[in-house]
Order: sequence, then C-alpha cells, then structure tokens
Amino acid sequence: MQIQYSKNTFVSLRKSLLVYGVAVSAALVSISLVIALLGFNVPAALRTLVTTSFKSSFGLQETLKKTVTLIFTTYAFSIPFRIKFFNIGGMGQMLVGGTAAAVVGLSLAGFNLTFIVLAPLMISAGIVAGALYAFIAGYLQARHNINPIISTIMLNFVALLLVNFVSTTDPWRDPIEGHPMTKVLPAAGRLPFFFRGVPASIIFAAGAVILVYIFMKKSKPGFEINAVGYNLHAAQTYGINFFKTILLTFLLAGGLAGLGGALEVMNIHGKLIEGFELTSGAQYGIFGILTSLICAGEPLGVPIAALFMAVMLVGADALQRTMQIPVEAVFLTQALMVILLVVMRQRMGRK
Amino acid sequence: MFNTFITQVMVYTTAYALASLGIVIAGRAGIFNVAGEGIMLASASAGFIVGYLTGNWFIGFLAGALLGALFGLILICLHETFHVSQFILGICLVIFGAGFSDLLYKLLIGIRLSPPIAPQAPVVHWQLIANIPVLSALINQNIIVYFMYMSIAASYWFFYRTKLGLETRAIGENPKAADVVGVNVIKRRYYSTIIGAALIGIAGAYLPLVVTGTYSPNISAGRGFMAIGIAIFSSWKPQRVILGAFLFAAIEVFSYRLQVTSTQIPYQFILMLPFISVLLVMIIFKKQVEYPGSIGKTYARE
Repeated sequence: MQIQYSKNTFVSLRKSLLVYGVAVSAALVSISLVIALLGFNVPAALRTLVTTSFKSSFGLQETLKKTVTLIFTTYAFSIPFRIKFFNIGGMGQMLVGGTAAAVVGLSLAGFNLTFIVLAPLMISAGIVAGALYAFIAGYLQARHNINPIISTIMLNFVALLLVNFVSTTDPWRDPIEGHPMTKVLPAAGRLPFFFRGVPASIIFAAGAVILVYIFMKKSKPGFEINAVGYNLHAAQTYGINFFKTILLTFLLAGGLAGLGGALEVMNIHGKLIEGFELTSGAQYGIFGILTSLICAGEPLGVPIAALFMAVMLVGADALQRTMQIPVEAVFLTQALMVILLVVMRQRMGRK
Repeated sequence: MFNTFITQVMVYTTAYALASLGIVIAGRAGIFNVAGEGIMLASASAGFIVGYLTGNWFIGFLAGALLGALFGLILICLHETFHVSQFILGICLVIFGAGFSDLLYKLLIGIRLSPPIAPQAPVVHWQLIANIPVLSALINQNIIVYFMYMSIAASYWFFYRTKLGLETRAIGENPKAADVVGVNVIKRRYYSTIIGAALIGIAGAYLPLVVTGTYSPNISAGRGFMAIGIAIFSSWKPQRVILGAFLFAAIEVFSYRLQVTSTQIPYQFILMLPFISVLLVMIIFKKQVEYPGSIGKTYARE
C-alpha cells in the first residue's frame, strides 16, 4: 500500500518563513488559551515559557542539551518521511543506540583503553545498533509490505524492555541505585562539557546537520530519495531502485537516532538510565516527530525548529516548577500547533 | 485452570476487538484511522474520571464514547475539509491524546496516595452454565463483553446484509465509482469514522473501568497500535476481528503467566512476546491480507 497525499508538502522558502511566523504565533495563542482555561496567569506564564532558556546559563545549557537530542530524533522521522514513510521508531532506535554504547563501554572498561579508542568504538556501536534496528522496519516495509507505523511502534516497546533488561541485570546494573540504571561509564568513554556545561555532543549535532544537508542536496543517493518522494513512478521509470531507497532512508534515520542515544548516554548521563529518552512529559521521539512536521523535513530547518522546540520544553519544565502548570499543557498545545501548521501548509500549497 | 485462562483472555479480547472494530469500520469507508492509541488514552482518562466522579460505570463509558467520537470528528473534518494526510492527522492526534489524558487526570484527580477505584461494569453470571468449561468463560463475563459480541454481529450484518453497508464498502474500494452512482461519499465517511472512533473510545474506557479499576499513565500500552495490526490481519472484515483480537489477547495473557512461572528466561524478553508476535503474524499472513482499495487516500471530486 502506497501512502498518498498532496505533492505540495514542501513549500518555498518565502512561504515557509510566513508559515513559521504564523506557527510561533499559533503556538503562543493556543498555549495562552489552554493556560487561561486552566485558570493560571497568562502573561506571567508566557514570560516564563519564552525567557527561561535565555535568562540563566543553566537555562541555556538545558536548552542546548535538548536541542542536540531533538536534532537527531527529528532527522530520524524526517528522512523516511521524504519518501512518505512514517518512522515513529526514533525513540526505539535512540534507546538501542544508547544501550549498545553503554554495553560496549562497560564491557571494555577492564582494558583501560584511551579516549581515542574507546569513545569512537562506543559511538560507532550506537550508530550501528540504531541503524540496524531501523533497518528491521525498513526491511519489513520493503519486503513484506508492513507499514512502519506499526512495526516501528512494536519495536519501540521491545527497545524499552531491552533497556530495562540491561539496566537491571549483572554485570551492567548499578546494585546501589533504586532506579534501574547501569554503573558509571569509564572516564575514557564519556564526552566532556565545554564552558562548564555546554555538551560536546553539540559538535556531533552540527556535523550531522552539515552532512545530512550535503547528502540530501548534493549526493546521488540523496537525489534519488528526493526523486522517489516527489514522484515514485517517474523515479522508477528513471531506474531508481525503490527497495534500496527505502532501506537507505531507514538506515540513515536509525543511525542518526542511535548516535543521538549514544551521545545522550556518553555525554549527558555518563551511564544508561531507564527513562533517558524522556523529557518534559514525553519522549524525544515524539517531539522529534512534531519538530519534523514543523520544519517540513527541510534539512536546514531542522536545527532551527529543534532549538524552538527545546526553548518551549525548557519553558514547560520551568512552568511546572514555578507555577505548577502541568508540562502536558505545553506538550498538548504543541500537537495542536502542528495540526494547525499542517492544515495551513496544505492550503497554501494548493493555491 | 484452562477455564480461568480463557476467562482472562476474553477480558483482554474485548478491548482489542472493540478498538480494532472501530478501525475496521472507518477503514471500510476508506479512512485509515491510526489515531487509535491516542483515542484510547484520552477516553480511558475521561471515562475513568467521569465514572469515578459520578459513581456510575455507564456514564463513564458514555463519556469515553463521546470523547472518542469527538476525536473522530476532528480527524475526518480536517481530512475532508483541508485534505491533510490521514496519517499525519492520526499521528498528531495520538500525541494530542497522550498529552490530554495525563493532563486531565492531573487536573481533576491529582496525586493520591492510594489509587482511586472506579465503579466496575457488572458481571453477568448464569448459574446454569457455570460448570461448563469454555462456554462459561465466554458467556459469564462483564456486560461490555456482550456489547462487543453485539457490535461484531451488528457490523457484520450491516456490511454484508444491507444496502447501506454495501455502499459503504464500495466507498472504501472506489470512492469515485460510489460517487458516480449517487452515494454521498463525504457524509458516509463522516459517519463511519465517528462511529468507529466512538467504539475505540469505549475500548479505551474499558481499560480502567473493567480491566485495572484505576487510571495510570500510558494505560493502553500500545494496544491502540496493535488494534491496527489486528485490523490488517483480519483483512478489514468484522467477523475476523474477534479471531485476531482473541489471538493477540491470548499471547498477552500467556506472556503474563509465563513471566510468573518461568525463572529461566528474563521477564523482559517474555514481555516482548506480544509485540514481536504482531510482526510475525503480519509476515506470516501477508499473502491473505486484502486492503480496501482506497484506504488512506484522499478523495477529491475534481
């Protein structure tokens, strides 16, 4: 079964700027409505929501941490979405990537490897594990015609159980902690923080943005992915292998999500913790889908949209902390905003 | 022992069957409703809260059904008016439903030391057949199980024995052809999606009001998505939905039991069974599966 909808999902830059402007206003209007409905002080809440990220160095660091992971989960959704497949499994691929990195790091802890050897090994393990995990879903679609919406979600649940297994089983588990987590990774397997709080993973995120842009816009496989996305039949007539294109997009998506998970484990937490995929009331995979729909999968729009989303998430945490407004209120408005955006983009595309 | 197993399986079968039937009914008119998980979560929360606050299980189910219907209305209205992809809308509604369910519970119930318990749907008990194995497990059940039997029978009768049902199936296969012979495609799609979503809502409210007795975050635990798998497995035929639902419910109950009795295999791998078996079943039966011709596609007259 081939998913079909209007071809004009990707609109020109001038229109996108307009759409982003309206999106931000729509987000603020809908959140004001929800906050007012819940009976809280709207101006104070809005101020907290927007400015928390920029008022303190703590807010800024939190925002950057969330932005980095969001960039990876956004690509995990947006790359298969180019050829109209829905990878809801960003979360599962991220979990598997993080688990692989942690298992490799802890297993090799006894060898006293240097940073130059151990860290790249762990990062590669994360990328490969995530890519292979997404490959399952891609293969099920390409070979057995099983919709990724179902397969990736089933794999998400499997990945959650896998994380629980690794973080509660010897030799990896931390026997002292009550919450399921592994022992601390060896120092050579952890990435540093710059300026007392900026995670080193930001370098990887920047690299990923540039590489994905070059891949999607300048390379032959990237061209083929775009061609299949615009018109499958024309692309097939031209000789592009649809089967391979599906597998390629899922491998890429899973690899990036796996990298995101590995970095989260190696940089932010320094160990595998159950629930590291969660942020502000939901998991990064879900926010990645929303972010991806906000920027319509444009490779260069991804970091901007991810930053915007991270600012909102940090603000949402602050709202819960200081004003007892549940984080779900912000999360809910984001879904509303995305529905609004998609509807608007569809209408503008049709004119 | 075997009888209690079947009894337990039937309890879960009902949730799967109602959710899956809702997806099938919308699918027969050409709407691929992937928002099942979000609808179930939202209805579970609303159904529980209303049932708990009013002290009446029936009003709880009613609230769940109404909220489900509202979700269906949003889905079909945005799709038919603006021609937004059903899949994008579905995913957005899943996210919306997940946020909505927890928000509603936090606001109206809050954090309690002991979980609040909702009134349970009554159980029908026939003394006459109480000792007959299997039959008693199928019949001596709560009242929603009866509702599920009736919905399956009614939708089978509707789709295969009435003119309206034939026309609805025709929309799912080829909306243009149905339109040409004078069937109001848009109106039928509205009805199918809303009725289907209301059934998914009842399946959602069923979880706290019958299965667990209380609401907890992420209560549907992927059942809304597995219901899509069941709908595909059953080739979008209502009479087969109950078989698929029974199969997945049996695997789920089996994995719970194995988790308790087995010490060899780590329990996490046993709990993976239901999710992996969904994929396996879909691979095994892929040759037999038929989709309604126009499912998931946007229909515009021009």
